[in-house]
Parts: sequence; structure tokens; C-alpha cells
Amino acid sequence: MKNTKSSRRSFISASGALAGGGWLALNAPMLLAAGHAAAKHKSTEKGWSNISAQQARTFAAVVDQIIPPDESPGASDAGVVYFIDNVLGGFMADAEGLLKKGLEELDRQAAASSPARPDFASLSFDQQTELLQMIESTEFFNTMIFLTHCGMFAMPSWGGNRDLVGWSLVGFDNRHAWQPPFGYYDALAVAGEADHVDG
Amino acid sequence: MSTAKKHTVFDTRKEVDFVIVGSGASGGILARELSTAGFDVVVLEQGPYRTAKDFSHDEIDVMLRNDMMEHPSWKDPQTFRATATEIAEVTRDGVTPPALYARGVGGSSVHFTANYWRFRPVDFNERSLLGPISGTGFADWPISYEELEPYYTRVDWEIGVSGAPGPFDAPRSRPYPVPPLPVKSSGVLLEKGAKKLGLHAQPAPMAILSKPHNNRPACMHCGFCMGFGCEANAKSSTLATMIPQAEATGHCEIRPLSTVYKIETNDAGRATEVAYIDAKGAQQAQKTKAVIVAANGGETPRLLLMSESSKFPNGLANSSGLVGKYLMANAHSLSQAFFVEPLNEYKSVQVTRIIHDFYENDPARGFYGGGGIDARAFIQASPIFFSETGLPPGAPRWGKAHKDLLRHNFTRRMALLGSATSLALESNNITLDPDLKDAVGRPAMRITYHDHPDDLAMATFLQDRGVDLLEAAEANTIWREPVLPTNVLAHLLGTCRMGADPKTSVVDPSHRSHDVPNLFICDGSSLVTSGRGQPTMTIQALAFRASELIADAARRGEI
Repeated sequence: MKNTKSSRRSFISASGALAGGGWLALNAPMLLAAGHAAAKHKSTEKGWSNISAQQARTFAAVVDQIIPPDESPGASDAGVVYFIDNVLGGFMADAEGLLKKGLEELDRQAAASSPARPDFASLSFDQQTELLQMIESTEFFNTMIFLTHCGMFAMPSWGGNRDLVGWSLVGFDNRHAWQPPFGYYDALAVAGEADHVDG
Repeated sequence: MSTAKKHTVFDTRKEVDFVIVGSGASGGILARELSTAGFDVVVLEQGPYRTAKDFSHDEIDVMLRNDMMEHPSWKDPQTFRATATEIAEVTRDGVTPPALYARGVGGSSVHFTANYWRFRPVDFNERSLLGPISGTGFADWPISYEELEPYYTRVDWEIGVSGAPGPFDAPRSRPYPVPPLPVKSSGVLLEKGAKKLGLHAQPAPMAILSKPHNNRPACMHCGFCMGFGCEANAKSSTLATMIPQAEATGHCEIRPLSTVYKIETNDAGRATEVAYIDAKGAQQAQKTKAVIVAANGGETPRLLLMSESSKFPNGLANSSGLVGKYLMANAHSLSQAFFVEPLNEYKSVQVTRIIHDFYENDPARGFYGGGGIDARAFIQASPIFFSETGLPPGAPRWGKAHKDLLRHNFTRRMALLGSATSLALESNNITLDPDLKDAVGRPAMRITYHDHPDDLAMATFLQDRGVDLLEAAEANTIWREPVLPTNVLAHLLGTCRMGADPKTSVVDPSHRSHDVPNLFICDGSSLVTSGRGQPTMTIQALAFRASELIADAARRGEI
């Protein structure tokens, strides 16, 4: 019978072509833990709640590949690993196995490449990029992209977007109350009308 | 002295005048109108009683975890299939369900985008004008635009709609109560493209206040409309408008966290009480003289089908066999674009300008249909959805180049949404899933839906015109989202259609069910045609009209 919840939930990439009519929805890898498990956040002071220090190290390297530091902070400086640690104890709990297996695999491949490179994070930035290019269409990596975006751009109360660096990056001004003009073209149009009236 | 609001409470064992199932766009109006007329009304609402202070801008809670849409107390899964030959697939946890609606007092009027297009005369009599369309349930309404016009005007003034008349609008008896919302850059660019192409961009009618009206404030332009509740009470939900007025009469009890599972009937074939699970999980039944189902075009047929009995073996009010049939969603298409300068579409309401040049059917197109185009931010107004779905196909998905695209384009993008007709098909419907039940044993809502080819042709046509408009507006990057069969339905229409003939409709022109004299149905399910993409204005005009007819019948002792 197909009409039951599949035990192996598959992830759908939100970044590729959206499923039919699915741009009405976000067919993103959203997995809810049973009910509405409260997202617990107690990681910054007492270490990690849901991941090991080694997993945190590998997560940091992966999220910085997705949104790297440049003239503005990258994903790990934005606190995305704290975000991930947090939501693995809440609404993304179902993805824990997938993510941890993916991290282990990355560390294993890094170690296999050279005895001097015990884990993924100790590879050079370019070596990390090459390794991820080989897995960029996997469920694991699509989930990492999704979580990096969420951690970068969600409200800071979720653990990421530290000091609003994600919102600053894209130009989302955290005011939530505005008066016109809102953007360049409406400002120009209103100014044009005023000129017209004056002239 | 206590200033606490006194809530009216009715005893479940004592007959009230009306039980209304659902407190949304139509239920809120029915509750206010009937309680104001002096009738005792209990409104059963499955969702919680949130108020403005409970709403947040948290993109994860509201948009990703579907906080407004999930059943508050247990899982209530839906299943979807395109055609009856398939076994319907259950929607996975956390993924947007196929039938989209908010649960809570005020229903989907709380989280909607608030586009308030009136239907036009043609939407009511197009079947007569064009003739039949083979294989469809294309039909005229038993009422006309002219009959509904006074009630559209009541929606404008009593719900609160901002706008200004456009060149193609149907006649109106009174101006809009408040002017259009200030134009955004997306609206200016739509106007620019339209002028070049000889089309007509007009101010969008929106159920969001541009100026204070009816003791409610004007919009703060926060930008969190689509999918979010309004913490300023500037969005004209029934939660912000009708519900408080209904409660103030002392004749209306809003009973949240009340999940209805059956309308009980007696040997005479009359509805006697409405059975529900209360906030504590206990079974209750409210006795009543009459029932009004206003639960939306998905939940309404589900409840009627669940209310089967030996007297009504195919479900309540279903002698026609049409309960749940003729589901219409409005076909849609989307194109996105980047411009040179910042638009900042994340600010203010979604839509400020629309194009109605393609509203009418045009035989030269080679298919039936009509629709509108609006300029809007769409779901990419907020940054997570933008980062996931706001870049063109083939754009780098990660790395420095990806970061640069996010950095540059969040403020520079907009979308054009095409909204089109849906033809009524018997094969598109709401049924009870034969296998899957929710935690309290109610059969899951099963959605079977595959757009008529003309619906998708019309949506594609609107996308083509949208791309023309974006080019004329000098966008520097334009792309189309694929136009594919609808599998997420934000509009749930037509599933208990109105008509004079009991063999071909579920309710009569006064919303009374043909089969059960004290059972009324009034919501999106009543619609005979889909309109061109924005149904709520019409659902609410119907609700004002139905309230008047139902109150009159009750006063005459004819219920």
C-alpha cells in the first residue's frame, strides 16, 4: 500500500526546477519532528547539544563552502553551525542521520586522500570545493545548502544570522515598518510626477 | 472595575439558532451578520484563537513549518493524486500540503495576500455567452453580477478594501472607501512595460488599509503579508473586522480548537446538532436549529461526506452526487526578473499594480480562458525563500559566485504572477481517502486534480505576456518558472456549487442545501465558475448576501 508515510523520506532540492505548480510552495527538505518539538538552544555556553565537536568542525567547513567569507562574514561566522545544532534538536531532527553520515563520509574521504589530512576541515579550501563538487546533487548536500540558507537568513533567535550578518548581506533592513518611497523606481516615478506638476 | 471582555457562552445541550462551521472569510461575515440580527450563533473553528499580538515575522515558523496551516492538536494529513487511476500519495510532514488553508479564527483571511478583485458580469453568465465546453461542467450562475453588486460594495466598506477603479472594471455603486496603497517599484515597472505595449496597469484592489478606516489603522508596509498574519490589524481579515463585532453583540460565541466531524440529522432529514472534538480532546455536540457550513472548499465537502447516515448514504446534501466535485484552483504561472537598481520588494504589500487586459475570453487565442497579471514580490519577499527559490535556473547554488548573486539581487528582483480561469471538471474533486485517517479517525482529505488543458494554456499565455512586460520594463534578467499541472491549491472552489436544479447543484441560490432544509453552505464551495484568480472578494459578497437571505428566512419561520 502506497498510502502510508514512507519510512525513508526523500529530500527534494528546492534550488532546481520546482515541482509542478510547486513554486506556490517550497518543496524544500522540510522535515518536522513529531508534533511541534520546541527548538532548544543551549549550545553557545556549554558546547554542542546535538553534535560532536568534530561534527561541528566539519559542518563549519561545509557551510563556509556554501556561503564563504569574503568582504562579509561567511556562514560559520554567521553562526550557521549553532543554527544546525539547534534545529537538529527540533524541527530538523529527522535529518540527523543523513547529515552525520554525510559528514563522516567527507572526513573519511579527506583522510583517505592524505595521511596529513585527518579530516575535511584540514583540506585546503580548494580541495574542499573539489570534493563537494562531486556530491553536489546528493540529498546530503542539498540539505546542507538548505540549512545554510536557513541559518544565514532566519531570525537570530534560531541561533544563526549572528549580528544580522545574513540580512545585511542581502540588504534586508530589519525595520519592519516603512513609508514610501520603497525602492529606486517608485522614488523616481514620484519625483517625476512632482517635476511634472511643478513644471 | 474589570474591563475584561465578557464572552458569551452557550450550553451545548440547548438549541442555538445557528451553528457556523468555520470562522474564515465567509464564516466570520455570517457570524457577524446573524448575531447582529439578534440570532444566537456558535462558531466552531478547528484552529486556535490567535490575535494580532500572536503574529510574528519568523520565516521558519510561519512559512516553513506551516504554523498557521497545521492542525493545532494532531496531524491531519492530506493525500493527492492527479487522476482517479492513481493511488493518492500522502503529503510528507513539513512539506506544503496540496490544499492550502489557514486554521485559526479568521481562517485563511488571516494569512492571505489580500488581492480583492471583483468578479465581472461575464464570470456569472459566460456559459450562455460562449456555449458549452465539451467534457466540462462549465455553467452559468443562478445569480448575476448586478444582484451581487450591493454586497461587493459592502465588502469594500465593511471589510475594508483599498483601491481605485480600473478601465475594465465592472460597474460599482460606490467608490472605494480608501485610496490605493502607495505604488511600489514593481508596480511602477509594470506600468512602464504596459505603457510601451499599449496595455493598462491599474491600482490593485487590496483588503489592506491605505488609510485608517472603521477604527483600524493604515498599513505600516512591513512586507510580511503573504502567508503571515498582520500584527497591525491593517489587513482586513475577518479576525480584524467581523469577529470582534460579532462577539460584541453578545449573541455570538467563537469556539476555537473545535474540530467538527459530523453533522447529525434526524428521521425527518433535518440537521439537529454538530459533533466535534473540543480543545481538551473530548467529544461534544452542539444542538442547533440550523447549520451553516463555511469551512472552505476542501473542508466543507469533507465534512458533508463524513456526515453520511442511513438516510444520507452518500453523504449529507449529496443527492446530486456533486459534493466535492468540480474543484477549481485557478491556474497560475510565474516569471521572475532582476533589474539594475534596487526595488526593495520586501517592503510593503505584495501587489500594487495589476493588468486586466486579458480578463476576457478571446477566441483568437484558440482556447477558453481569461486572467490577470500582477506584479509582486511573491514568496521570495523574505530572505530564506529568496535564497532557495529566487535565482534563475543554472545560477551557482553555492560558493562565492552564489553569495554574490544573493548579495546583489535580493533587493533587485520582482515577479509577475499570472492567475487564470479553471474549468469545472467532475474528475477534479475532494473525496475521503479510503485508507488514511487522522489521529481522531476522520478520513483524510483526498485531492484529485489535473488542470484542463485550456487552463494551463491560459496560464502559459499570461506568462508569455508577463515576459513581454518585463522586457518592455527593461529587466536585465528574466526567467520563467515551468507551467506544470497544479499540485498545490491555494484556492478551493466549486465543490458544492450553487444552482436552481437539485440534480446539477448542491445549494440553491440562497445557499440552502437542496436536500436538507436547515442546512446552508456558503464559502468557496458555492462558486460555479472560478473567476480570474482572486476569489475571496466574491466569497465574501456571497456571505453578506446569504446572511441577509438566511436571516429573512429565519424570521419568516422558514428554516
